Amino acid sequence: MAFIGTRNGELTFLQKVRNINWLLVLLLGLVATTGFFALYSVAGGKIDPWASRQMMRFALGATLMMAVAMVDIRALMRIAYPFYFVSLVLLAIVEFFGSIGMGAQRWLDLGIINLQPSELMRLALVLALARYFHSLSYEDIGRVRWIVIPVLMIVLPAGLVIIQPDLGTALLTMMTGAGILFLVGVRWWKFAVVAVVALAAMPLAWQRLHGYQKDRILTFLNPERDPLGAGYHILQSKIALGSGGLWGKGFLQGTQSHLNFLPEKQTDFVFTTLAEEFGMIGGVALLAVYIMILAYGFAIGVRSRSQFGRLVAFGVTITFFIYIFVNVAMVMGLVPIVGIPLPLVSYGGTAMVTILVGFGLVLSVSIHRDVPIPRRGPFDLF
Amino acid sequence: MSAATSHTYDRLAGPRERIRIDGIAKQALDTGRVRLIAVAAAFGLCFVVLGARLVDLTLLRAGEPIAVAPAVRVAPLARGDIVDRNGLLLATNLKTASLYAHPRKVLDPHASAAAIARVLPEIDLADLQTKLASDRGFVWIKRNLTPREQDAVNRLGLPGVGFMDEPRRIYPQGRLAAHVLGYTGVDNHGLSGIEKGFDETLMEGAGKPVQLSIDVRVQHALWEELQAAMVLHRAIGAAGVVMDVQSGELLAVVSLPDFDPNQINEATADQLFNRATLGVYEMGSTFKAFTVAAALEYRTADLDRVFDASEPIKVSRYTIKDDHAKNRWLSVPEIFMYSSNIGAAKMALEVGGTRQRDFLRRLGFLSKAPLEVPEVGQPMWPQPWRDINTMTVGFGHGIAVSPVQIAAAFSPLVNGGLMVSPTLRKRNPAVDPPAERVLSSETSEKLRRLMRLVVEKGTGSRGAANGWLVGGKTGTAEKAVNGVYKRNALLSSFVSSFPMTDPRYVVIAILDEPKGIKETHNFATGGWTAAPVTGRVIARIAPVLAVDPVNEKSDEVQRSMTVSARRGRN
Repeated sequence: MAFIGTRNGELTFLQKVRNINWLLVLLLGLVATTGFFALYSVAGGKIDPWASRQMMRFALGATLMMAVAMVDIRALMRIAYPFYFVSLVLLAIVEFFGSIGMGAQRWLDLGIINLQPSELMRLALVLALARYFHSLSYEDIGRVRWIVIPVLMIVLPAGLVIIQPDLGTALLTMMTGAGILFLVGVRWWKFAVVAVVALAAMPLAWQRLHGYQKDRILTFLNPERDPLGAGYHILQSKIALGSGGLWGKGFLQGTQSHLNFLPEKQTDFVFTTLAEEFGMIGGVALLAVYIMILAYGFAIGVRSRSQFGRLVAFGVTITFFIYIFVNVAMVMGLVPIVGIPLPLVSYGGTAMVTILVGFGLVLSVSIHRDVPIPRRGPFDLF
Repeated sequence: MSAATSHTYDRLAGPRERIRIDGIAKQALDTGRVRLIAVAAAFGLCFVVLGARLVDLTLLRAGEPIAVAPAVRVAPLARGDIVDRNGLLLATNLKTASLYAHPRKVLDPHASAAAIARVLPEIDLADLQTKLASDRGFVWIKRNLTPREQDAVNRLGLPGVGFMDEPRRIYPQGRLAAHVLGYTGVDNHGLSGIEKGFDETLMEGAGKPVQLSIDVRVQHALWEELQAAMVLHRAIGAAGVVMDVQSGELLAVVSLPDFDPNQINEATADQLFNRATLGVYEMGSTFKAFTVAAALEYRTADLDRVFDASEPIKVSRYTIKDDHAKNRWLSVPEIFMYSSNIGAAKMALEVGGTRQRDFLRRLGFLSKAPLEVPEVGQPMWPQPWRDINTMTVGFGHGIAVSPVQIAAAFSPLVNGGLMVSPTLRKRNPAVDPPAERVLSSETSEKLRRLMRLVVEKGTGSRGAANGWLVGGKTGTAEKAVNGVYKRNALLSSFVSSFPMTDPRYVVIAILDEPKGIKETHNFATGGWTAAPVTGRVIARIAPVLAVDPVNEKSDEVQRSMTVSARRGRN
């Protein structure tokens, strides 16, 4: 007699709604609103073409988030593996039937919407790994043979993404997976081995890189190398940041973005626009909101009673963190340029929906934090 | 039971469950906690780094100029200017825009290509369409657009095309001295002439100009007179040189037909060919000056020596005969004045092949001229050097040299006997130029008189420039075409120097295949075609070069130019 409520620990809809972590939802909305203002500004003080569509996407994403939040965590656990396999198959299909966007096959044209399976895979991987480790005892985690399957679960989609080619997304997928492995307690020395192997393989990997990828890395090391070509983005971005100062130039006053010096100003480089117009204070404030969201993510994970819920919350939080860190570090010239958007702010539907659905999972974990799930899996209850 | 109650219950249940944890379960929990703290700490650290960088960029580095070296590619623009001896600009750089495209960003390759081809008609439409439709990241469409062209392309408003500032080499004097200056390629590196010879200096000289020995005023006078003569005599080409006999500096070097280095793509191979330095020619009679100089220097003959020129010389299957045959014995001055092949051949034979060859080597005829441009011709001379060769070389056949070499070798004949190394760069007047004594001053003194005699009374009379006491030697060589000398294909030349009392400059004019005209009584010889050119050039440049005019009729001058030679016997 572990739980008192509806049969088998089911919560009523009303209970769920009451248990929603509304502060987290508010913070997500706050970030998205910041994005609306940024897009309004880079469009030259117009709601079209970006801000309006971004709002619609947020509305769609938020609805999806709420819907996912309502799903019973055990149902999520049941669909974890099927969802993973479907995503994997879609990734494989995109290899052969995907349309070419910006030189890489990343999209699957479904007629109504363009699906980016690598985005689906981000969530699918988190769910599948959480599902896997939920059933694994601590001793088993310490054994190599039990680690083979999750490593494969990470490497397979990462490999498919690399072929697309989208090295950045592949690396981020692997980092998310590695983060989960780390949290569940895979031994330190195994990470050390992987790190050593990765370092040793670097010269080989360098040869296999595409020209533009090499360019990005070389440019990262020395942006002045090719200031009109590969180094242009980052130099202009730095100029924009430097011109922002402490308080920024003021809303709608950013010259770098408005005069089109700043490339991709509404997508990957939107942070620069914000920092130019709202200065260091604005940038730090946004980062602070992000930190609060991350803290919530971790807190929800810690509070979850099931290992599955714990890992889902952590996994989504890690993914979210990687988005933020890589994007912000990129526009400030701390890491090479990777096509990673600033979550909830950058113009673009897929990432927005992925993030919001991800937080839908987190909210579900939060709502069902006290639902106990036996180690053997969610089916025991039925 | 209400949800609220279940909540409370569960909060209580939490700690109760934890009490049972021990052993492996406890270890798992500890590990999980440690790992979570590690991850949270790592995230925290990342945000500290981001925050620090944000402060760094927005506050600390604000206003710090970022090295945007880019818009103009500075290094190539700094290619040095080329100036003449008086600092006049001969070559410089102009910033122009070059049109490129990122084909992957071009929306409609065919429409875009058509639009561009409309405003830049010289572009091949099909070629451009292929370029724009290609999968390449970057293609050049046209280099160095004019501002008007750039404006026209800008107005098209095409996406995916852009301009890059590129320096373009500009030659403000146009065709003038084109062969000396040469030209550069699209990469701004020199491809010929001084541009190539001093490419490294010009590229790395931090924008310092290269100063040439060329004097634009002299260059222009020589160019204009040669051009006029070439048109007048319907010659296929012309060459000319003005050289300072004291310093070896070349004040003017002209080769015709020439080209406009600003429009290098339109130049033909014939136009690009530098006749003055790269072309080597059998100069004919002008070479007799060297034969006489050798004979005087080796004392095998003096001015009063006479040679039997009454009959042509027959050597095996060759016959040497005179064009202006006097059919009598001729003194050395007469041989020179009337340009007798027979006399020169006999004089050369007395000097001997070995000494003749040695003498010509010292005059620089047996090696390339030491010039600063890459276009320097390799002279040709007889191998083996038999007696018949000694004789033909004596009147300038069987040896082919470049006009610049002739100018350089004439210097010691008139300047007192010093062979000065020719140069295209301005020399410091305070420093003695590299020179080698090849003649005694007496020999040089005698040759001045002989050359004056040619202009005063001989074949070069039309080369006179009143007041400048011009001396010289004519040359009319039949051109060898495929090993056969052609009577009607002549290389007519005149080598002159002035003023003969104290020669300062050598002026050479050469016409390639001039045709006789009514005014020259159908003569196309050096005396009729080339000599007037040098005469007019000297009349134009002598005042510019601040040469003191000479009263040619004064007793003093007459005395100094007297040739003490008797007329040869009949």
